[in-house]
Amino acid sequence: MPSWQDFEPFIVSGLALGGVYALSGVGMVVLYQATGVVYLAFGAVGAMGALIAWSLINAHAPGWVGWLVCVAFAALVTLAYGMVFGPALAKRDPLVKAVATLGLTLVLFGLMDLLWTTSGGQSRAITLPTDNGGFMIGQIQVTWTQVISLALGIVITVVTVVFLRLTKLGTAMRAMANDREITATLGVPVRRVEAAAWLGCGILAGLAGVLLADLVALDATTLTFLVISSLAAALIARLRSITITFAAAIVIGLVHDLLTPIQSLSNYRDATPFVLAAIALLALSSGGGQVLTRSREEA
Amino acid sequence: MAASGGSAAADTEVPATRARQRPTLPRPGTGTLVRAAVIAALLLFVLFALPQLMSLYYVDAMTQVAVWSMAALGLGVLVGRVGLVSLGQVAVLAIGAWVAARLLFATAQPYPLVLLEAGLITMLLGTLIGLPALRLRGLYLALITLMLAGALTVVLATTNFPNGGPGFLGYNGSQVHIPPIRRPSIAASDPAYFRYAVVVAVLMFLLVFAHIRTRPGRAWAAVRQSEPAALAAGINTWFYKLWAFALASFITGVAGGVLAGANHYLYSLNFPTYYSITLLAVVLMGGAYSLWGAVIAGLLWALLPSLLQNWGVSADWLTILFGVGVLQVLTTAPRGLADQVPKDLARLGRAARGLARKRAPSESSAG
Repeated sequence: MPSWQDFEPFIVSGLALGGVYALSGVGMVVLYQATGVVYLAFGAVGAMGALIAWSLINAHAPGWVGWLVCVAFAALVTLAYGMVFGPALAKRDPLVKAVATLGLTLVLFGLMDLLWTTSGGQSRAITLPTDNGGFMIGQIQVTWTQVISLALGIVITVVTVVFLRLTKLGTAMRAMANDREITATLGVPVRRVEAAAWLGCGILAGLAGVLLADLVALDATTLTFLVISSLAAALIARLRSITITFAAAIVIGLVHDLLTPIQSLSNYRDATPFVLAAIALLALSSGGGQVLTRSREEA
Repeated sequence: MAASGGSAAADTEVPATRARQRPTLPRPGTGTLVRAAVIAALLLFVLFALPQLMSLYYVDAMTQVAVWSMAALGLGVLVGRVGLVSLGQVAVLAIGAWVAARLLFATAQPYPLVLLEAGLITMLLGTLIGLPALRLRGLYLALITLMLAGALTVVLATTNFPNGGPGFLGYNGSQVHIPPIRRPSIAASDPAYFRYAVVVAVLMFLLVFAHIRTRPGRAWAAVRQSEPAALAAGINTWFYKLWAFALASFITGVAGGVLAGANHYLYSLNFPTYYSITLLAVVLMGGAYSLWGAVIAGLLWALLPSLLQNWGVSADWLTILFGVGVLQVLTTAPRGLADQVPKDLARLGRAARGLARKRAPSESSAG
């Protein structure tokens, strides 16, 4: 059993990872509440944005331009998808909407492998300027990137909770989660609210793409399917509560990284989000797996 | 039924005789017979003529088509017949392949027995997972299958596939010379194994066909149309959903066994998580509801990439195509190509006939 010292660095990295999972998870939950879509392409748009940023930086563009393009790309693709396929599938089951986003995932995944192929053993890496600076907490080295990741996760969570509760747009989103039809008859511009939700989710996807490309790896497959960790956090929160999403995301990030020094389990640590989500889903089923529910609030 | 044309006086006689007559089975109509004959002819062609016409490269590709048609068939039963989406069928395939490989190395059992065992063990595991999972609604069921498949992929990356080593896992990491997974003695060569795979696939298709034509098929249709109505009609929906899960797992497990023999060597890289998503895409495109749809899905999955590779086109274009296909199917043609193409062809036929009539107005009757 490794000693406490061996665990310490992984607490920091786990918190940073959890922070990014939190900001992704919150984005997915808000989008689900407003539109009924579980955005499974969240990771793919972030990944492609990160790869575009990498290409730009490689072509000697300044770093901040690359990151900005990444976020903009993710936001635009997400918004475009939402505006084109949102109305087309609006009346369908959430399952159909989710599977449709898988279609988008495949398109992006194919494009990424086509344009930034990894055959031939090429590996790419991304570094943020905040990787270099940092400080020490006791014996542990903490980089600014990790601080930003965790801080962003906390900030986004708090801002989202406040936004949903106190602003007009946020209330409109909550209303749409409850009943889209009645919300529309009350004069709320539902399409515009949906567009705002898609755009917000896309921006978060871009941010997550940048951070995960730095913290984890700049690899299309890895980044695309890291969405599952954020999805796990969202599922533990039953796609409803923002604060539980945050807490679950932090736990998932921590558990995943803390398993690294444990020899017997280390190889299996990538299964952490899957296992936790499966347990959460099964616990969910004993609570409310009804055949008929109308509102997304009773997810 | 009322006696046709029997007078009131003969009422007492005619019904009695009719009651003693055994009801005759309906004779299959000409349409069914023609279709059966066409399918039989096609099968004979595929089994005997095709391997002679194709190079070994394409024979291998067609063996994969047979395997993945079975996997698509399993998924089609779930998605098309019952309306359950599973995002983890490739993991189930991996389990079937693993079990078959382990048995083939550890025992000297005949191949059909190994395939049967692989199918049954996979079916058992699928049923065990289905027991709690089927309480979930559609979206959550799909997501939990994705989660479980992902977890299995991680586990497989560490435990690896059996390669003749000792112990339960049967994996020997330090071996330099890895023995290949054996094939049946009657089907050791590639063309022979292709025929073997096709025969197994046909058996699986017949199994599903038998299910569809009998009570499970009717129950699934009722559940798919409206689960509350089916429940109200007294159908044990949970049981039939579990049966669908079991059937799909069995078929996919057998497919895994055939895959083990086809590939000779199995690696966890062969079963990435996103394959399950792509499999769903081809099943939706081919048509989840029809048995031909599973064949189309198999062709899309295994033949198209081989063709493209031969022509020097990257297989990534296919991934993009499948993504677009999913979006197209979900927004416009829910029944996929198998349903859409005959309709489109019929429409084309009508348009052609309309054109022909316009070109020869003197021959048409009232214009």
